[in-house]
Amino acid sequence: MGSDRTIEQIPYEDVNADVVRTMTETGRLYYIFLFLSMAGVVVLWGLPWAYQIYTGQGVTGLQTPAFWGIYLANFIFWIGISHSGTLLSAILFITQTPWRRSIYRSAEAMTFFSVMTASIFVFVHMGRPWNFYWTVPYPNQRGLWLNFMSPLMFDVFAISTYATSSMIFLYFGSIPDLAAVRDRVKGWRKEVYTVLSLGWRGTDAEWHWLTKAYTFFAVFIIPLAVSVHSIVSWDFALSKVPGLSKTIFAPYFVVGAIYSGSAGIVTLMIFLRRGLKIEKYITKTHFDKLGMLLVVMSLIWSYINVVEVFTGWYADTSFETESLRYRMFTPPFSYMYWLMIFTNTVMPLFLIFRKVRRSMAPALIISLGINVGMWIERYLIIATSLPRKFHPYMWNDYIPSLVEISITLGSFCFFTMMFLMFVKLWPSVSIYEVKEDIGIPFRTKKGHH
Amino acid sequence: MNPVLLGLYKYVDDMIDAAGRLRDSGYEVSILSPIPLGHEIEEALGEPKNHIRYFTFAGAICGFFFGIIFTLGTAAMYVLPRGGRPIFSATPTLLISYETSILIGVFFTLIGFFLMARLPYYKKRVYDPEVNVDSFGLLVDGIREDKYGEVERVLKEHGAKEVKRLEKE
Repeated sequence: MGSDRTIEQIPYEDVNADVVRTMTETGRLYYIFLFLSMAGVVVLWGLPWAYQIYTGQGVTGLQTPAFWGIYLANFIFWIGISHSGTLLSAILFITQTPWRRSIYRSAEAMTFFSVMTASIFVFVHMGRPWNFYWTVPYPNQRGLWLNFMSPLMFDVFAISTYATSSMIFLYFGSIPDLAAVRDRVKGWRKEVYTVLSLGWRGTDAEWHWLTKAYTFFAVFIIPLAVSVHSIVSWDFALSKVPGLSKTIFAPYFVVGAIYSGSAGIVTLMIFLRRGLKIEKYITKTHFDKLGMLLVVMSLIWSYINVVEVFTGWYADTSFETESLRYRMFTPPFSYMYWLMIFTNTVMPLFLIFRKVRRSMAPALIISLGINVGMWIERYLIIATSLPRKFHPYMWNDYIPSLVEISITLGSFCFFTMMFLMFVKLWPSVSIYEVKEDIGIPFRTKKGHH
Repeated sequence: MNPVLLGLYKYVDDMIDAAGRLRDSGYEVSILSPIPLGHEIEEALGEPKNHIRYFTFAGAICGFFFGIIFTLGTAAMYVLPRGGRPIFSATPTLLISYETSILIGVFFTLIGFFLMARLPYYKKRVYDPEVNVDSFGLLVDGIREDKYGEVERVLKEHGAKEVKRLEKE
């Protein structure tokens, strides 16, 4: 049996039963949360968006000179959250890291739903979402073709590739588990999982091809994920606006994305293990490892922040100095800035202690704090740069309206709703990989595990 | 069509020993398991070839050239002069090609998997749900009518907890 196991010895039979139980047995609390999240989507997101579409973009706080606001901050935030799921899963798969096995499925789902949430913000930001097809690359009678020199066009390709690949990665790795669910359920579920499992039997040939193809997917996903957030950063960095035009933005965004995504996984796993009663699969060892990852990412993220401020100060140009002063020392942005430094640089230092990493309450507070900080980071990038461009007579503070704030809160409801539906329709813990973690049963000790 | 025999095992090494012995005797054997047994099977039965890499490689190459042709073709057919910038620019062309290489590479890999693993397949096939839970199945095919007893004996000698005779479709 494996010496690097992260979960205790559990009979294989129990793994199947427990995972299927999470899908078929539903308590009242689940329905309450599902209802609340759905209500949140309608009230906080749907209605304000409908009002915005009906009335026009004037209901937002967007005005000269800043026409990018909280919607795009949300877009970057959700793309960032999406990063750790698939990327971390792929990296840990390639490096054969055992603690990946219990958590990767939900993390990959988190990726997919956050990309969905992020994509919707593009439509919200657009103002006239029904004209989205203008950006779709096909010849048309208007003679409008794409400008491939625009970073926004890079974004369309990068994010659609990432969303498609993440979805395939999630589905592909789930095929054996969908077959396991198929064998245990009845009625409409049986029919659905029969189709989804593609006739999987678990033959040596099927496993062989699945493992090989999965490895190639993982190899594709890693550079893809890095490129996606680099490209998102170039939406800003390829401009000439003080506070945005920074060469360090690509690594800064990638690190920030992995950081916020990892914190998102910690938050999600705490709720998941408690809500689905799967503490024996998602153990404190997982939080221990994720906590270490958060400390490392926090240090890298903090270092890049110091570099950004230092190079801006050292350059000593009036534009750059004003940009830093506005962000770091002008209320209300300064409050947000120093709160971000506290949640993302100071608080994660407590994760150095093993006891903190393995305790759920501190881990939840720190991971939520990191994501509050990461949201603030994205907000400050936009809200403190575009309103403070080169000419002071053009300066105008950007303050988001209630409609924008409501839609922002609604996006969290949307993500929660999607994830709640996911845990009832999809095996949120990988059955076969948990069994691998438990170990392959050998009569003698000559095997690998 | 002659039925097949399916031996169900609790331990992987028992099953692999039986698989090796029966394969050496000329029977067609395949393994059904709830988890991938890559190394264990490769040691006993040899390492199968990895054909999927050809699909992946072909997809990535197709995607790369698709990206190049798409971006440069668009620039050539719909010239958009932008203040002294080149009409054909290397950076965005390579960037889009990078993304399309991955996208089409992923699609080709998926197609490769479907072709090699012969999935999806919805008709009835020899299967036992136990092999997706906690049993390892050894499926023996190509058995002559008078040899069933002998094969069954071999399967049990190697620790099969149950041997089932199943009809092929």
